[in-house]
Amino acid sequence: MPKVIFQIEGAEAVEIACNPGDNLLELARRANVAIDAPCSGNGSCGKCRVKLITGEVETIKSRHITDEEFEAGWRLSCNCKVVGDCTVFVPDIASAYQSRMKTADLSSPKEIAIFEDCQAQLKESGIAFQNNYRAVVLQMAEPTLDDTMPDNERLTWAIQDALGVEQVKIPFAVMSKLASTLREYNFRVCVKGELQSDTFFCMEICDPEDTAIVGCAIDIGTTTVTMVLTDLTSGKLLAKGSSGNGQIRYGADVINRIIEQSKEGGRKKLQDAIIKETLTPIIANLCRTAKISARSILCLCIASNTTMNHLLLGVDADPVRMEPYIPSFFAWEGLTAGDLKLPANPLAQVRLAPNIGSYVGGDITAGTLATGLWDSDEMSLFIDLGTNGEIVFGNRDFMMTCACSAGPAFEGGDISCGMRATDGAIEACTIDKDTMEPTLTIVGEAGQKPVGICGSGIIDIISELFRCGIINARGLFARDGKRVGRDAHGMGRYILATAEESETGREVSINEVDIDNFIRAKGAIFSAIDTMLSAVDMTPECIDRVYVAGGIGSGINMKNSVNIGMLPDVELEKYRYIGNSSLTGAYAMVMSDQANAKCNELMTNMTYLELSTHPGYMDAFVAACFLPHTDASLFPNSVQEM
Amino acid sequence: MSFTPKTGAFSGKINAVTLGTGDKAIVIGGQNVLPFYTFDAPIENAPKIGVEVSDLAAQWNWPELSAFYAGCTTMVDYAKKAESIEGADFICLNFPGADPNGEDRSVADCVADAKAVAEVVTKPIVVMGCKNLEKDAELFTAMAEALAGKNVLFMSAKNENYKTVGASVALANGQKLGAETADDINLAKQLNIMLKGLNVNPESVVMDIGTAAVGYGYEYAASTFDRIRLAALAQGDADLQMPILAAVCNDTWGVKESTASEEDEPAWGCREERAISMEVSTAAADLTGGADAVVLRHPASVATIKKFITELV
Repeated sequence: MPKVIFQIEGAEAVEIACNPGDNLLELARRANVAIDAPCSGNGSCGKCRVKLITGEVETIKSRHITDEEFEAGWRLSCNCKVVGDCTVFVPDIASAYQSRMKTADLSSPKEIAIFEDCQAQLKESGIAFQNNYRAVVLQMAEPTLDDTMPDNERLTWAIQDALGVEQVKIPFAVMSKLASTLREYNFRVCVKGELQSDTFFCMEICDPEDTAIVGCAIDIGTTTVTMVLTDLTSGKLLAKGSSGNGQIRYGADVINRIIEQSKEGGRKKLQDAIIKETLTPIIANLCRTAKISARSILCLCIASNTTMNHLLLGVDADPVRMEPYIPSFFAWEGLTAGDLKLPANPLAQVRLAPNIGSYVGGDITAGTLATGLWDSDEMSLFIDLGTNGEIVFGNRDFMMTCACSAGPAFEGGDISCGMRATDGAIEACTIDKDTMEPTLTIVGEAGQKPVGICGSGIIDIISELFRCGIINARGLFARDGKRVGRDAHGMGRYILATAEESETGREVSINEVDIDNFIRAKGAIFSAIDTMLSAVDMTPECIDRVYVAGGIGSGINMKNSVNIGMLPDVELEKYRYIGNSSLTGAYAMVMSDQANAKCNELMTNMTYLELSTHPGYMDAFVAACFLPHTDASLFPNSVQEM
Repeated sequence: MSFTPKTGAFSGKINAVTLGTGDKAIVIGGQNVLPFYTFDAPIENAPKIGVEVSDLAAQWNWPELSAFYAGCTTMVDYAKKAESIEGADFICLNFPGADPNGEDRSVADCVADAKAVAEVVTKPIVVMGCKNLEKDAELFTAMAEALAGKNVLFMSAKNENYKTVGASVALANGQKLGAETADDINLAKQLNIMLKGLNVNPESVVMDIGTAAVGYGYEYAASTFDRIRLAALAQGDADLQMPILAAVCNDTWGVKESTASEEDEPAWGCREERAISMEVSTAAADLTGGADAVVLRHPASVATIKKFITELV
């Protein structure tokens, strides 16, 4: 049996035994070695490159590997077959940074403000920010030969007394450790649970010092997963963190993932990738940061697109992909953390933000909840920039929604030097139009050198390149200079940081293919907005307010977004960047029972517009794949200075 | 009270583009009404007909057509004969033989042919390339220089080579430039904008917006014609007000109706008649949709389409 050793840059080597003829990428997945393969291993993206150190593999040379690189041992792992013992080097590319976990700094008021705003907004709309989770410290009399009441009755009495409830439910999970816990803490314990009208549902019994009751709000994006832990009593944020979605190695977009889950054992693989490899480590990490025990998490809310919540639950997502596109559920109650084996109280309810269609999911209902547009007279447009772009338009009287496939460009995918908005990401940029020199803003501490580019950075860079006439309306390079390089095929690129200027020793640049990918992404977003507005016979002038959401950076430059024709040319004051609204909405749903109910009501009030069958959409898309737009009159404020 | 029909000329107007020099020069475009809507406003310049002169004409194998060109051996011979056809407004030199994947004729040979033709014909010349992007760029660059002063239209610059072709044809040599896109109003407009960005005068651009032989997805071509013309006239979109040339012959002579032998398809009747019918039907449809010029191969098609135009304008 041949052995393959994966030497991972910046990590320990992994060894795995295999059969001759096994595919190297498959093998890496089996060995839990993360190799990025957005195309799901069909050889078209060229991202899964590894370097052969010793041994041989059977391979087909790919157009993604130059002759020199091939000579040096570089191979595409997806088209390599193992023939004998070998050692391969797995490079730490920018996309590997993407999957790294990041804990947010909650001391920054900016991080917290979005959640506080959302809370204030909902309260204004009459949503009480309350839930029924309680922690209570009980001092019981220790049993004696004269006081022979059994433990469960003793606890029930004490709870009835403390909380004024008539009934107390003690489930098996608590019952089984009741005796030992009571005695360990001398009959002074903390009890955590949920008030259900006149009943208290006891979920945890523990150390009287441990009185934390915690909610966990999770946004599962196709590319990125973000979560917060919140104090269920005060609403205070305890910890916030993010990481790449572990399913990414099974494909960058939802369609490839659905195809992957349809294969034998696929549902389990995809479910493990999200639960075991992604959610579990982040929750564990955040619990450490917040200094709480995972069993204190009494309620979770997950906001995600329809495919992601199907894959999370391990229910077949294939019908989502196939006409007539019917998912297994829109809204569904009754899920517990124990069902999914999440590291939380096993009895904790897992609330799922409801889906509206196969391609408009819970992330959008949660986001809509967070914007408050459902309680306003203003005509509002809500845009969630992600791998799928989703759009909601309306006010208190009506809401329309649609989805378009933007690709992972906003989250740094599909871009050669793209990355998530974590340390080293270029998140903003200006370019001097005469010298063509860039000025960069980089995520991280002062002195952080650039590693790659995140979504907000790409918007800035393309807008600045266009303004300075370095690229033309088609996104091709039109000027030459020190910062503009060309490869052997004449493909242009703009160099943001040379190998010496970067953190990794690799050049950070944006090339014509990246720009083209991004122009398609922005074209998809704008044409969807355009099509939806015309479907209700409205124009951009009708818009009173635009909410832009998405985890594409700490902020997005609206002027630049308009300049490249991604967002409608309305007064910049009308724009609000609301960050990750899916997460904010999930936070509200965890904290407030009324918000949770409201979100489920919103689902039923939204009309879904299917763009793929809408006659004008393709046309609007082609028109929008141009800087700023084929119809320049839509963007009077877009400028090209040179 | 007598009935006074309302007339509906548009404020937008198609650019008038002059091809050729001297008294045989022609103007295409210039109208501010839909095709043949003479009741709305007079159509100043009736649509024009070009006759195809191919460097592979010797391979043509339709009896009547071959008989018409009997005795012609060089492109000059063909061009002289083509020019004599009644109804021919211009001749169109077509160089499919330059295709590197075909005969791969050298640029120098093609240029020599074009030069020789230009010396003897008096009607305006339109040049069509071999559809290979790199070769066409080379061919047009050399030919635009060799035919300087003749006011020739080159078909066409495309998205991939518009810079080279636009710079050599229009900017360096002051010739007229074709802009070719495939059945999409937005792509057509985008290419025109890119050419404008290159400082090519929009008044010297003629569009080839893509056509198709009738029955071969023609509805796409038809809707593209309609929409471009309405955008140019009704919305006054200056980026789409270029006149349109439809290279009909390129699409119709290769389809099955024009090539299948009578032995293979006995029910279809005479092969050459079929080919002419395909060319005439497509040209008539293009003209009705908004083409300002069509390029045809067969003298019989030219005669029919000439009659069609004359009666409608």
